[in-house]
Amino acid sequence: MSAQEVHAILPLLVLSGGIVVLLLQVSFWRGHLAASITSLITLVAAIFACFQVAGRLTSGIDSIAVTGLLLVDHTALFFCLLLLLAAVAVAILGFNYLQQRCHEGKPFSSYPEEFYILLLLVMLGATTLVCASHFASFFLALELMSLALYPLLGFAVTGDLSPQRDQMQSLESGIKYLLLSALSTAVGLFGIALIYAASGVLDFGGIAAAVAKLHQGPNLLLTGLTLLLIAMAFKLSLVPFHIWTPDVYQGAPTPITALIATVGKGAVVAVLLRFFAQTDLFALPTLTSLLAITAVASMLAGNLLALMQNNIKRLLAYSSIAHIGYLIVAFLIGNSAFGSEAVIYYLVAYVITTLGAFAVVGLIADSAMAQAPGGAGPINDSTSDPFQRDYYRGLLWRSPWLACCLAAMLLSLAGIPLTIGFIGKFYIFAAGVQGQMWMLLAAVVIGSALGLFYYLRLLLTMVQRDPEPASAAVGGVRIATSGQILLLSLTAALLLFGVFPQILINWINAL
Amino acid sequence: MTLLAIIAILFIGGVLAWLSGRLLGRGSRWISLFSLLLATALLGRYWPDFTAGADVGSGGELWWDSLQLTWIPRFGISFFLAVDGLGFLMLALTLLMGLFGLIMTWRDIRFRRGFFYFNYLWILAGVIGVFTAMDLFLFFFFWEVMLIPMLFLIAVWGYEQRIYAAIKFFIFTQASSLLMLIAIVGLVYLHYSNSGQLTFNYRELLSAQISPTAAYWLMLGFFIAFAVKLPALPVHTWLPDAHTQAPTAGSILLAAILLKTGAYGLLRFTLPLFPEASVAFAPVAMTIGALSVIYGAVLAFAQQDMKRLVAYSSVSHMGFVLLGLYALNTIAVQGAIMQMIAHGFSTAALFALVGALQQRLHTRDMAQLGGLWASLPKLSAIALFFAVASLGLPGLGNFIAEFLVLLGSFDSSRWITVVAAIGLVGAALYALLMMQRVFFGESRGLNTDATAKEPVIDLNPRETVALLSLAVALVFLGLRPQPVFDIAAPSVAGSLARAEAARTEQGTVKAPTSIETATRSGWPKSISTGGESL
Repeated sequence: MSAQEVHAILPLLVLSGGIVVLLLQVSFWRGHLAASITSLITLVAAIFACFQVAGRLTSGIDSIAVTGLLLVDHTALFFCLLLLLAAVAVAILGFNYLQQRCHEGKPFSSYPEEFYILLLLVMLGATTLVCASHFASFFLALELMSLALYPLLGFAVTGDLSPQRDQMQSLESGIKYLLLSALSTAVGLFGIALIYAASGVLDFGGIAAAVAKLHQGPNLLLTGLTLLLIAMAFKLSLVPFHIWTPDVYQGAPTPITALIATVGKGAVVAVLLRFFAQTDLFALPTLTSLLAITAVASMLAGNLLALMQNNIKRLLAYSSIAHIGYLIVAFLIGNSAFGSEAVIYYLVAYVITTLGAFAVVGLIADSAMAQAPGGAGPINDSTSDPFQRDYYRGLLWRSPWLACCLAAMLLSLAGIPLTIGFIGKFYIFAAGVQGQMWMLLAAVVIGSALGLFYYLRLLLTMVQRDPEPASAAVGGVRIATSGQILLLSLTAALLLFGVFPQILINWINAL
Repeated sequence: MTLLAIIAILFIGGVLAWLSGRLLGRGSRWISLFSLLLATALLGRYWPDFTAGADVGSGGELWWDSLQLTWIPRFGISFFLAVDGLGFLMLALTLLMGLFGLIMTWRDIRFRRGFFYFNYLWILAGVIGVFTAMDLFLFFFFWEVMLIPMLFLIAVWGYEQRIYAAIKFFIFTQASSLLMLIAIVGLVYLHYSNSGQLTFNYRELLSAQISPTAAYWLMLGFFIAFAVKLPALPVHTWLPDAHTQAPTAGSILLAAILLKTGAYGLLRFTLPLFPEASVAFAPVAMTIGALSVIYGAVLAFAQQDMKRLVAYSSVSHMGFVLLGLYALNTIAVQGAIMQMIAHGFSTAALFALVGALQQRLHTRDMAQLGGLWASLPKLSAIALFFAVASLGLPGLGNFIAEFLVLLGSFDSSRWITVVAAIGLVGAALYALLMMQRVFFGESRGLNTDATAKEPVIDLNPRETVALLSLAVALVFLGLRPQPVFDIAAPSVAGSLARAEAARTEQGTVKAPTSIETATRSGWPKSISTGGESL
């Protein structure tokens, strides 16, 4: 490894270093605030490292291959940056979440500090995955991400103030994800084995050569690729591999839901994009038609099932299934500059919007927690459960700014102008027209129309003008300053890139 | 810059109205009134342009005023606002109806007044954007922007079934406009493939060479979006619900302005962009128009709810607009434009009157109303005026409009016109029946109760002046319609020139330039404008 190669993986090194420092810090001196500050510093340092590497890359070299396992280029760095920014938001949300649920004074009853170590581990896995160019690094990164996610999903158990029901659901979500994710990993690993058996290589470049002469050989390679695709579809929760999504999303602590929905999916989309582009799998009609079918199924099933949800987190889970379906439409137009531009734009829109939506939901739940610590309130009443739609009745009149942020997120998810979601949807349409995929476009239109219904129902619940006096217990929602700043910046980004998309387009095209 | 200023004033006025309603608890109405007056005054500055240079438009296709700024160069999208005769008429209608609605419902809104006027002004700003945008992307942008505040207006301040009505309204318009978005993107993509020029500019897309099949499909995408908004027969079902459940001011905006955006879109975009396809589609569209006329009249006749009756009469009247537009000759199209204006005035007034009745008597059910003339003479007299205006009494604007539409379309399609003309009889029936049941006849129990408790108050001077000025305007349009025709003439000629050319050369096959033979494929690589790199 030359010095240049070491420098190229600076963000990964920073994250690893941060993990070690945090481990040592926590073993000697426990402190929630200190741990969160260390993790934030690590994340910010990693972001600066991304810029630093990008600065090095511009001087003549397009990409740096690091030992054949990793390939660092502009696109990978852009994804790293996006995911790290999302992780910053998750860390802030997590701090607010744990603050309400962990007793500060009593030692040895709850350990909120591990949250940040696990978060950094997830980020190390995600950033490595984004840079992977070899199945070894690909598999390691994917597993690192998943393994760190299992305890995070069940993290509500750590908080001694969490209501019993939250702890149960959180455990349930962790175990569900563990079992199904292990299964999908096994399938993916088997796929990799078949690919290796058929081609004798494990790096993406070698597979590209094998794919190029695919029509001569047996279909072992194709089988392997399909199995690998299934493993990725599981992580992306594409229909029919989506069954875990609503339960896991609902049960997990809300910051972790945001993490798994943005970082978990974003990293897989990034590696899928790189894998398909490098090995030119778009040329294989089998794989593209499989993807097209899952995309249509995801758009329709995701939106239809979301129609029936009253729990906001389940609703957002189904809606995220549909959104990945839209994204696949742009993905499918193949190995063109426009295709990856559309995918990246849509992914940015998806990450900002999803993060924002879960942030609002999580912060509202935190504020409800603050008013009734330990779940003292009657939680079965739908108007006092902060994840039920009824809880949002008249929110606009109670706390207008918060409601405006959530409204912006919902409108962006629905793809209404002035928001980044609209430009994302415009990209999807442009991509679909270029690829002349009319069936997929029809599915997008139908899916969007269905989606409007449940987004609007939630939006209109917030402006209901007759708040029942019985639910007056939920007064104005008070959220912490850090949460407010986070929400404002997410909303500002959403509007900025929605009204002046050229800024972001320029960044993406400079990759 | 004047156009941008008008839109900006309304947007900013809306935000100020909300803030002042929220922080001070008062002043939002005056802010709204002031910003609307300011916008109207700015628009008034174009009037001398027209009188001084009336022949400017007839020579070339010059805008009265335009503003073009680059917005998203990646896709050749620019912020392009322009106004011509047609646009000016629509803008004047929008702002005047905005003022009318504001004044008529001055005291109606008690709940969250600031937020109400925020939505009210944003609807108007969005509609003005729709009427002035000459970039298809920008047009679509404003087309959607005007929907959200309308949604809130219905959902928050509406009557009993408001949530259902609001969601239905939104899903109908949004789903159809997604089809239009696909059509817009498809049109731009085909234009780019054939000419190498990536642009959403309306003027440049007019010269797009598209194969007839593709043009037909794209035309349908536009047509469906506009037909839903118009609304035309099979896709009109959102309208009765939305109109009935909306608050009075919302109904006025919906009927007077939002429906007109559909007709405007047909005239401005569908006909000129796809002349051949429009000629081929014209018989279907005219049939839909005529059926809407009849169907709207029949259903209006059958309603119990007064507001629903007026809503169905809108379906009927907008059927005339569709009929006139697709007759594809100057007389009928001029008639359609006149119908847009006259229908805006008369229906807005009728909705305002129903709203006034509802506020006084707390019902719109015609079975409970009756014999109101005795207690409400002024209101009843004015209602009579607008009811007969709506049925097309000669001497008023609506008569001129419907007469011209029928005259023009008789030339194009005799039998369809005959069918549509029957609708006039229906209009007389439902309008007069409404008068009979509500204002004449025996006084029912309900309003005697109401008079017993508190005397029902007739129209106050503010409402009377607002309604009478609309009445005067309708009389003026009926007696001297020529200025409207003069203003609209260049735009109409421009829109129809290509359709008429297409009609004459129908049969001669144009060289197909389909997407398969296109010289380019894929969207262009972005022209990066010096963005930062990572």
